[in-house]
Amino acid sequence: MIKITDLEKFYRTEEVETIALNKLSIEVKKGEFVAIMGPSGCGKSTLLNILGMLDDPDGGSYMFNSVEVAHFNERKRADLRKHNIGFVFQSFNLIDELTVFENVELPLIYTGVPSSERVKRVEEVLDKMQIMHRRNHYPQQLSGGQQQRVAIARAVVNKPKLILADEPTGNLDSSNGNEVMELLTDLNEHGTTIIMVTHSEHDARYSHRIIRLLDGQTVMENIMI
Amino acid sequence: MIRNFLKVAIRNLWRNKNFSAINITGLAIGMAAAMLILLWVQNEISYDRFYEKTNRIHIVYSRDKNNGKIDVWNRTTALLAPALKKDYPEVEDAVRFRPVYFLMTFGEKHLNVQGSFADSSFLSVLNFPFLKGNAKTALNDNHNIVITNKLAIRLFGKTEAMGKTVRIDSADNFTVAGVLKDLPGNTELEFEYLLPWTYITKLGWDNNQTWSSSNAATYVLLKKGISREAFDEKIKNIVRHHKKDGDGSTREVFTQPLSMAHLYSKSENGKLIGGRVETVKLFIAIALVILAIACINFMNLSTARSEKRAKEVGIRKVVGARKNSLIMQFIGESTILALIAFIIAICLVQISLGGFSEVVGVPLFINFGNLYWWLFALAFILFTGLIAGSYPAFYISSSRPAEVLKGTFKNASALIKPRKLLVVLQFTFAIILIICTIIVERQLQFARSRDTGYNKGNLVYIFSQGDVIKNYRLIKHDLLSTGAAVAVTKTFSPITRVWGTATGLSWQGSTEADKKLNFLLFEADDDFAKTTGAKLLQGRDIDINSYPTDSTALLFNEAAVKAMHLQDPVGKTIKNANGVNCHIIGVLKDFIIESPYDEVKPMIIQGLSTGYPVVHFRLNPANSVGIDLAKAEKIFKQYNRQYPFEYVFADEAFARKFREEQQDSTLSALFAGLTVFISCLGLFGLATYMAENRKKEIGIRKVLGASTSSITTLLSLDFIKLVLLAIIIASPIAWWTMNTWLQGYTYRIQVEWWVFVMAGFVAVAIALLTVSFQSVKAALMNPVRSLRSE
Ligand SMILES: Nc1ncnc2c1ncn2[C@@H]1O[C@H](COP(=O)(O)OP(=O)(O)OP(=O)(O)O)[C@@H](O)[C@H]1O
Ligand SMILES: [Mg+2]
Repeated sequence: MIKITDLEKFYRTEEVETIALNKLSIEVKKGEFVAIMGPSGCGKSTLLNILGMLDDPDGGSYMFNSVEVAHFNERKRADLRKHNIGFVFQSFNLIDELTVFENVELPLIYTGVPSSERVKRVEEVLDKMQIMHRRNHYPQQLSGGQQQRVAIARAVVNKPKLILADEPTGNLDSSNGNEVMELLTDLNEHGTTIIMVTHSEHDARYSHRIIRLLDGQTVMENIMI
Repeated sequence: MIRNFLKVAIRNLWRNKNFSAINITGLAIGMAAAMLILLWVQNEISYDRFYEKTNRIHIVYSRDKNNGKIDVWNRTTALLAPALKKDYPEVEDAVRFRPVYFLMTFGEKHLNVQGSFADSSFLSVLNFPFLKGNAKTALNDNHNIVITNKLAIRLFGKTEAMGKTVRIDSADNFTVAGVLKDLPGNTELEFEYLLPWTYITKLGWDNNQTWSSSNAATYVLLKKGISREAFDEKIKNIVRHHKKDGDGSTREVFTQPLSMAHLYSKSENGKLIGGRVETVKLFIAIALVILAIACINFMNLSTARSEKRAKEVGIRKVVGARKNSLIMQFIGESTILALIAFIIAICLVQISLGGFSEVVGVPLFINFGNLYWWLFALAFILFTGLIAGSYPAFYISSSRPAEVLKGTFKNASALIKPRKLLVVLQFTFAIILIICTIIVERQLQFARSRDTGYNKGNLVYIFSQGDVIKNYRLIKHDLLSTGAAVAVTKTFSPITRVWGTATGLSWQGSTEADKKLNFLLFEADDDFAKTTGAKLLQGRDIDINSYPTDSTALLFNEAAVKAMHLQDPVGKTIKNANGVNCHIIGVLKDFIIESPYDEVKPMIIQGLSTGYPVVHFRLNPANSVGIDLAKAEKIFKQYNRQYPFEYVFADEAFARKFREEQQDSTLSALFAGLTVFISCLGLFGLATYMAENRKKEIGIRKVLGASTSSITTLLSLDFIKLVLLAIIIASPIAWWTMNTWLQGYTYRIQVEWWVFVMAGFVAVAIALLTVSFQSVKAALMNPVRSLRSE
């Protein structure tokens, strides 16, 4: 599903040039659950952003479903993204001015799903995430675990083929964290490909495969049994 | 999608109530000010455009050489209109209009009202709408009169006006044959009644009408498809053609669309190049500046806020929003704000319209029934929304989501710089306006306090009407003997106006060039200096009653003596243009009769010859003004029973010369105040935002030991620097503008440096006051709280 070869990313500031990704090559197959680990600053988030087409690479190739997307313009990337990819962030990233329901509904609005269908689908996922009773609350009124469940609901409401999660349990206690991991595993079992960045060996154990990064390069891949 | 945008927009507004309030208030005030000004502009440019045949109606101007310059004026000879009609096939009609003041009598009612003589087809060309009667017949009969509704009510009250008979000047009777709707405010023509032109002939007022006369306004209705330029070329020399003696007259005539007459009245080199239109342009510019300042506020505050919304934008992008839809969202939001501001602005306009109308001296109103007005309003809102929302919209939505999601923009300074620039721009405008206000006001004070050269206090004049002239000796005697007045004189025109000029004078040793010298001409019978308080420097006052030869006596002012290079003028003989020898009997100190801003021009006062003089008298300072006037009224009523006692105070008439400048001054103060206020709102909002954003920084500084005052200074200094920069930019611009403005006045102040210092000081003080509130508040905040909240 995803194949990157010799991917490069530099950050230039006035004084220094940071090489965030150094000729990185990775392949992820459809239906896989991959964890990415590595020390802080090794380029995990950078990689995830590029995979999610939130950022563009400075070199190398990125094949998404056998299409070269490295040179896509902003508009094409937005279109591809909204139909295929869901995001989950460490800091939840919900819109404070929108209710739980409206936050989850947002991707459907952008993909042009009609209103009645939207209500149905949003209610469906909220139900699945067990936060239906909070549908009219605003993010600030929820606990961290609940917020993350809303974020996951929003990531999956469009039935994306790929979910990218950047330290999804980073801000949660262990029981909430486990709950989130269960949700992701469940999604994966129903066919969604998942790429997750994590610092926790515990969480990584939920995945099929761990890719370890150091200074923007793969150092090791562990296959989980 | 739209619903979603709206929802977020409204919730955003609500969550940041204070912020939104500041934002909307600033914009609303700016819009209201711009709207008021544009209403005025709209009124100005709508003058005389409401006739059915507006496009074909033209007014004829005369142009002639005078003291080496070419003068242009909007009167012609009464012979012109008939000649145009007769000899030029291009002309569909040509009508005359000659303003006049008559006493109108109906029963016991006597009213002194301005009206006009007009040709019978006048109302078919300039079709002022009738309430009763019609344009075809109303002025056809020699004994008909057409009056406005206002006059009808004044004369007849609620009773039917048509068919009633009014007496004109206690001499002739006229029958009301038409009632016009009251004239609209936007016409240059002024009259409450129209009399048939034939009445002039009956009065014998046009007996000595020649081709050099110019006492009628002539309006030409050209046939369809006629080019005005070509027609002008044809009629240019019409005066010369008709002058039998061909005396080398340089008089020319030309036309101008009547709808332009109001805007273009000033001439240069014989062409109408400016006038009111300059003020209109200036006002449009000011309206745009105020609106721009309000929009800048709006942009500034919106961008400040948008940083907070970076996260929202990032998330929207992550879940699939396209750039365009985000731009739409931001612009949509600012348009909603603009709409709210617009609604408030309309309320503000409605509230302040009365006061503003008074300041500008014309009644203004919003015409809500006009479709164009609504279209304009719509365009106005969209435009403001677009301008105000564009910067945040494009800036934020073109950022990369990966960056944005980190919380704020990496390069937040990229947003701060333009924002600072905008503040500088705003304060530049504000400071320019403050400086202009000070200078306009000072120039006004300066001209006001100028010595007029005569004593205008306690001086009263009346226009002689009815039996005043016949009984003048008795009136004067009684005024003096009853102690109502201490001096009385008859003159050609009021002491504040000049109605005549003289040229072609020669004297011993004068040259041919001296003949071209142009003098202001004034006439008086006796006691002129005594009554007005003008100072005699040499010789004596005119006294045609004691000295029969004084009908050829002349008083000169200093300027005239200087222009003629005369030594010992008293006793010298001057030959006037008609070849009559006159003698100089005295020299008066220069006194201001025309513009208080100009040098005093050479002037001659000769023995009174006019049949319609103006009677001046100086009230007795021993009594109160009220008592003097009551006595005077009794005397005038006794000798001139039919006419109301209508008097004018010389100082009030003089003060009217300052009306325009007074208006300029009031308006510039108003605009300056508004600009400063709007700018401060913006600054306040920005300071609020900054303080909030730097909460954490302030907290840390305090933990590390910074004092409250050092933090206040730190926060305020940022803004003060901007204002100082604005002062530096504004000063030369204001200096140039005001210098140019002052060039229009011969008698004027110098632009002084302290004005700039003062304006700068005011600006800094205001800015400091605005900002310090927020700075102090932020500095006093408990650091534990601000740090925890991060
Ligand atoms: N916008 C940026 N400008 C400059 N350098 C950046 C930028 N974003 C990331 N970097 C640098 O790129 C490198 C990789 O950053 P990245 O955020 O991908 O690390 P990470 O592996 O996600 O770390 P962590 O585990 O702490 O989240 C780091 O050295 C970081 O300093
Ligand atoms: Mg990271």
